Amino acid sequence: MAELAAVERLAASTRDIPARAQLAAVAWLRWRIFANNMFRRRPATKRQAMGLVAAIALRLTVWPFLASMAVGPVVASGILAWRAIAEGRGPSLIPLLAGIAVLWQFVSVNGLSIATAISNFDPSTLIRFPLRFGRYLVLRTMLGLLTASTIVGCLALLAAAIGIGAADHSLALPAAMVLAVYAAMNIFLTRMIGAWMERWLMNRHFREIFGLLMGLLVVGIQLLNFQRAQMHARGMPNSWLASLISGPEGYLKWLPPGFAGNAILLADHPGAALLQWVGLLASTALFAAVFALRLHKQFLGEYLSEGGAPPRASSAFRVRDNRRPSAGIADCAKQGGLRMAFPPIVAACLRKEWAVLRGSGMQLIRLLIPIVFIIVLNRGVFSRHPAYFLPGAIAYVLAGVMAGLYNIFGADGLGVQIYLLAPVRMRDVIVAKNLTSLALIVVEAGLAWLVVLALTHSPISAGTQISAGLWTVFVIAANLTLGTMRSIQAPRKFDPRRAQIQTRRGTPTDRTSGLLILAVLFGSLVLEIPVTYLSRYFNAPWLGALIFGPLAAGAVLAYVLLLENAEKLMMDHRDVFAEELCKV
Amino acid sequence: MHFLRNDMKIPAIETVALTRLFGESVAVKEVNLRVGAGQFFGFLGPNGAGKSTTIKMLTGLLAPTSGSIRILGEDMRANSADIKRQIGVVPEGMALFGRLTGSEYLRFVGRMYGLDRATTEQRTRELLEFMQLADERKKLVADYSHGMQKKLAMAAAVIHGPRILFLDEPFEGVDAVAAGTLKSMLQRMISRGATVFLTSHVLEIVERLCTHVAIIHRGELVAQGSLEELRAGAGPTGGGANGGQGEGRDRSLEEIFLDIVGTDRAGNRAITAPEQELSWLS
Repeated sequence: MAELAAVERLAASTRDIPARAQLAAVAWLRWRIFANNMFRRRPATKRQAMGLVAAIALRLTVWPFLASMAVGPVVASGILAWRAIAEGRGPSLIPLLAGIAVLWQFVSVNGLSIATAISNFDPSTLIRFPLRFGRYLVLRTMLGLLTASTIVGCLALLAAAIGIGAADHSLALPAAMVLAVYAAMNIFLTRMIGAWMERWLMNRHFREIFGLLMGLLVVGIQLLNFQRAQMHARGMPNSWLASLISGPEGYLKWLPPGFAGNAILLADHPGAALLQWVGLLASTALFAAVFALRLHKQFLGEYLSEGGAPPRASSAFRVRDNRRPSAGIADCAKQGGLRMAFPPIVAACLRKEWAVLRGSGMQLIRLLIPIVFIIVLNRGVFSRHPAYFLPGAIAYVLAGVMAGLYNIFGADGLGVQIYLLAPVRMRDVIVAKNLTSLALIVVEAGLAWLVVLALTHSPISAGTQISAGLWTVFVIAANLTLGTMRSIQAPRKFDPRRAQIQTRRGTPTDRTSGLLILAVLFGSLVLEIPVTYLSRYFNAPWLGALIFGPLAAGAVLAYVLLLENAEKLMMDHRDVFAEELCKV
Repeated sequence: MHFLRNDMKIPAIETVALTRLFGESVAVKEVNLRVGAGQFFGFLGPNGAGKSTTIKMLTGLLAPTSGSIRILGEDMRANSADIKRQIGVVPEGMALFGRLTGSEYLRFVGRMYGLDRATTEQRTRELLEFMQLADERKKLVADYSHGMQKKLAMAAAVIHGPRILFLDEPFEGVDAVAAGTLKSMLQRMISRGATVFLTSHVLEIVERLCTHVAIIHRGELVAQGSLEELRAGAGPTGGGANGGQGEGRDRSLEEIFLDIVGTDRAGNRAITAPEQELSWLS
């Protein structure tokens, strides 16, 4: 009886919470987070004021570019759909719809968490509230719909529907209905991919494989683009690539774009159109079901982790281990060859940086992809002008690795306190960290150099190479100096393990540092190009060396002076340091 | 193992052979836990013993690998939404939304638990006053101190009037004033018939507040019962590591705890004497 009464009490008190109330609460939460992000700022500091200026500059340059990227596909979809119907080339609707879907998913996957980064809200945390699974599913489907990919994708489909309707009024209604379902299919596909990627990206190895695949995909698209242009020039329309790109009659008809396109085109034949509708609805349902399956696991409480188990502290039993007592940070370096080459503190820090570095396969991938791109770019104009190609290629590969110099303490997070507390000079720590970065930069620049030498059709003169070498030293030393300063003045805590998930903590530098990197690289490149031109024009191969030699020496001197003043700089900015890196 | 006696018939929390594996590692192993309604229950264990994993399972945030959980007589797997409405949780990381203000956060939580607007507003006001956060209600949660965040998390956990409150290290990093406020709220809840289930490393607080205690070690439940029962016969074998039951009567919870978790599987003391190790320390 007592048990029955308890159950009755529970049932009475848990009369369903209205779905409307919970959904409205989450919508209100999103609104408040958005509004607070927009209108509420933490107390302004000099650093944040600089960040604001950089943010405005970035928006002024990037937003028009992004707007054109959004408007372009939408207008093009409308025009292409109109032409396809008006010119009697109905089947070309199918590759158009496939293209919209590919673009939609590609942008979505790569900007997976731009929305998360902006909103600072993880919807999976909602499972702690008394939600039923159906509501959780609705929330997870709806939350984050206002992303660039969804907006542009939906607008492109709307434009296509308008284009089809304008070309043939009788197709207006079927096109609107079909493309609405097609949009839903794309949304569920995006959600499905996002949910599964969220699961897989928790695993470091998968993140590395994913990074490699995305890199290869981007490189592959570039290669295909060159290949297509060459085939077009040679008049080879029937090659495998041409059929892959423009052959929808084959495989695409069995995929959602084929179902959607044919459901519109066969609107006059209800029986045939019904089959296409079934295919389209079935694929939509399939994506929705796979998405729901993943969410249900999450809803029941699955554990997402890198490894098998959460970290467990060592038990009291391990105290008995008779390890040799450590005398401090420098002792770490007393084994191995590093001690021979560097002072103990530098060697200890180097050993630590190496341990972090070797655990990141992603780092290797990031180093390799720019080199592959140089090979791709070689097919263009650059190979015919090796004097420009060499510094251009080096600037290109350096752009990718320079970011690490501008936030050398960011990945240490709370661990940075050991440098502040231990009896070490910050100069030694900075030197160690910069040496690690420098090793990567030298390898990357060296590889780029070798690739350029191997690819160019004519030999590069010794004068040009020395000029490029001194220019490279200048760029690296200038970035080392500026980067070290920014690392102390504007550190930014970030978690390299989550770098691919792109959270707020996923980017290694702030906007100001990012702009500085670009300014130094492109500024020095702009300087390098006229110098190279003049040295060729006047047949003075050593002109570059005469200009870049002093610049490189000046930059190295600036770096040395900075190191000498590292302690003072750190003391002056220790508040920023503690605020950003040491706060839990 | 000591089981409870003279408790209410329907346990607030009951687990049977609750197990959680992470890969091949066993975090929680066949835990049979029974917490009576109205108890102030302390769940103790050394670091990494499985306390937080157990709490996550009991609150529906983590699925057990095997075993069952019944909260207020209801099966967690079958009725998680209903159960979540009856419980309040202050999880390990507090899980607050940093870009909301304190009052916005409480309002959101109240609405998620189905409270109407007027009730939510009233409770938000009262809770912020009680927690001495009224002056900070318009401040972003991200800008709160650690202690203020704990108090806000506690306020959010009770805004819907839960019948069971789960607290994972509620006093960690909290100053004496804030701890006093939290304790006062917990005592009020107990006096009104709610059940409190907390983990803490501060054994003095557990001893002062809790009526019943369970100790988990290496994922296994090694002791469970009222404080008196534990004092009467502490230790993994029921007899106590230091011998007879009689001398356990006056022992503190800390001594009992060390007695139980400070031994290895064979019953040998594992905590080493300072003079034997770390001799280089000045």
